[in-house]
Amino acid sequence: MAQLAVENVTLTFGGVAALSGVSLAVERGELVSIIGPNGAGKTSLLNVISGFYHPKQGRILFEGEEITHLSPHAITQRGIARAFQNIELFSGLTVLENLMLARHTHLRYGLLQAGLFYGRALAEEVRNRRLVEEVIDFMELEPYRKALVGNLPYGVRKRVEVARALALSPKLLLLDEPMAGMTLEEKEDMVRFILEIRARGTTVILIEHDLGVVMDISDRVYVLDFGQVIAEGRPEEVAKNPRVQEAYMGVEA
Amino acid sequence: MRNPWAQTGNYRTRYEQDASIFATHRELVSLLLFLGFLLVLPQFLSRTQVFILDLILVYSIAVLGLNITTGYAGLINIGQAAFMGVGAYTAALLAPAGLPFYLVLPAAGLTGAFFGYLVGIPSLRVKHLYLAMATLAFQVVFEWTVGHLPLLNQGGAMPLPRVSLLGYEVGFRNHYHFWYYVSFAVLVLLALFFRNLLRTKYGRALVAVRDNDRAADAMGMDPGRTKLFAFALGAFYAGVAGALYAYLSRAVVIEDYTFAVSIKLLAMAIVGGLGTLVGSFLGPAFLELLDVNMEALSNLIKALGFSVAGVDVASALRPLAFGLVIVLFLVFEPRGLYNWWRVVRSYFRTWPFRY
Repeated sequence: MAQLAVENVTLTFGGVAALSGVSLAVERGELVSIIGPNGAGKTSLLNVISGFYHPKQGRILFEGEEITHLSPHAITQRGIARAFQNIELFSGLTVLENLMLARHTHLRYGLLQAGLFYGRALAEEVRNRRLVEEVIDFMELEPYRKALVGNLPYGVRKRVEVARALALSPKLLLLDEPMAGMTLEEKEDMVRFILEIRARGTTVILIEHDLGVVMDISDRVYVLDFGQVIAEGRPEEVAKNPRVQEAYMGVEA
Repeated sequence: MRNPWAQTGNYRTRYEQDASIFATHRELVSLLLFLGFLLVLPQFLSRTQVFILDLILVYSIAVLGLNITTGYAGLINIGQAAFMGVGAYTAALLAPAGLPFYLVLPAAGLTGAFFGYLVGIPSLRVKHLYLAMATLAFQVVFEWTVGHLPLLNQGGAMPLPRVSLLGYEVGFRNHYHFWYYVSFAVLVLLALFFRNLLRTKYGRALVAVRDNDRAADAMGMDPGRTKLFAFALGAFYAGVAGALYAYLSRAVVIEDYTFAVSIKLLAMAIVGGLGTLVGSFLGPAFLELLDVNMEALSNLIKALGFSVAGVDVASALRPLAFGLVIVLFLVFEPRGLYNWWRVVRSYFRTWPFRY
């Protein structure tokens, strides 16, 4: 059974259909990319999966449980993490605090214990700090640990965004254009991180415009156009698909 | 082993140490020395001078609460005085029934928190100015309700009984000194409580919903619950402050908890530095001392018999100075007095070295 199953999902805004009858299935440990022209509905699809939008029709199953109408935090608690396309970090907090926020639901102590900083509070903070430090280490963010996120350059903030999603210890990671606007070097780093995340057993759904990257690293690719899946398959199959070529390069005269 | 007293930087090697509040021994000791100074200070002051300090302490508690809701969680609250009033009237009802003040204070806080929770409910839907309107509505409803309730003497004075602690009777002579020490202890406890919260998930969650509640949602926390928590906690502090204010002024009257007081609290928070702990003490201290000095100055002017075309210059001086200070701070130092404090502190952190 697929880890994530999106079944026949339709999402409309007023009369405009952002998604119409989209289905996809992602197996545990896969790296699946979603591509398509601007406005094809890629980000809408991620928003539906992560609970920011609720579809008009269809349903979404994660590990056999229906999550279609759950709120974003309930979906996050079930193991789906998301890195946003337009960086949505907490700019008034440090990198460390941003990542510690991802551990929010894992920190088990009460208000009184926190206010008196007694009992489990310190031990829990330290235990989760260790996990966060592993992510910092992994994403090579050591120099920025105590820097305010708002003051960091764009490329680093993108990396913090992915790191924060990783700090949630997700089973499924949704990455929305993690490489947009990056330099070639930063892109190569990011690809390395994504491959490493996948190698550690986390399922990854990636939205990306750089087709070179997508074709190189994906197990399977879904192509969206005008809110519909127009092709699905291994990268080399998708690249040959005439409908995909049409969507990307237009109809031949 | 390096000498911890000569420490000018960060020697931390374990995560446990990194969770501590004070960077160096010197910071901790200078705070303790300052607290010790505040403990002996009233012994050298007259009753009226101690009364000013009492006001600063009580307002600091209310401003601290306001900073939690508005400064840290970013939820504009222009009804903080009404939450103080809720605490004050709780005290006015419970204290005559014979409840000792050390139980009245937490009870007033909890009543405040309950109303804070209720008023916070619109924050689940509306933001910014619209939320400010909701808190303003609470302020208006509070004043109207008190003004019409016979139970609360329709806003007229409700006296509070004299208190005693372990056989120590508080009378006319030691009244202000007694409440100085009570307010001081309460402020230190509540400030420490919040400072601790700031290094745990509760404090981080407040800032998270302020900076980006969409992302907070994606972190697995319920932003709505966090906002209600921010309102309840901020109103708890206001409730405690209101009860202290009631004891301090020996009676509860509606005039002490009006909209103008809410604005004054907000001004204190801004002058101190919105969203900072230290600013919660600097703001009230600065504005209260300014007020006292302006009063002295206007009395001096009155004594000189100076007036322009029949206008009473002296009595205009206090509101004028209040307004001017706020405008000057908003223009020249929007980060408040806290920013000056930050500069001084970072200088002394590495002293005697430059960096």
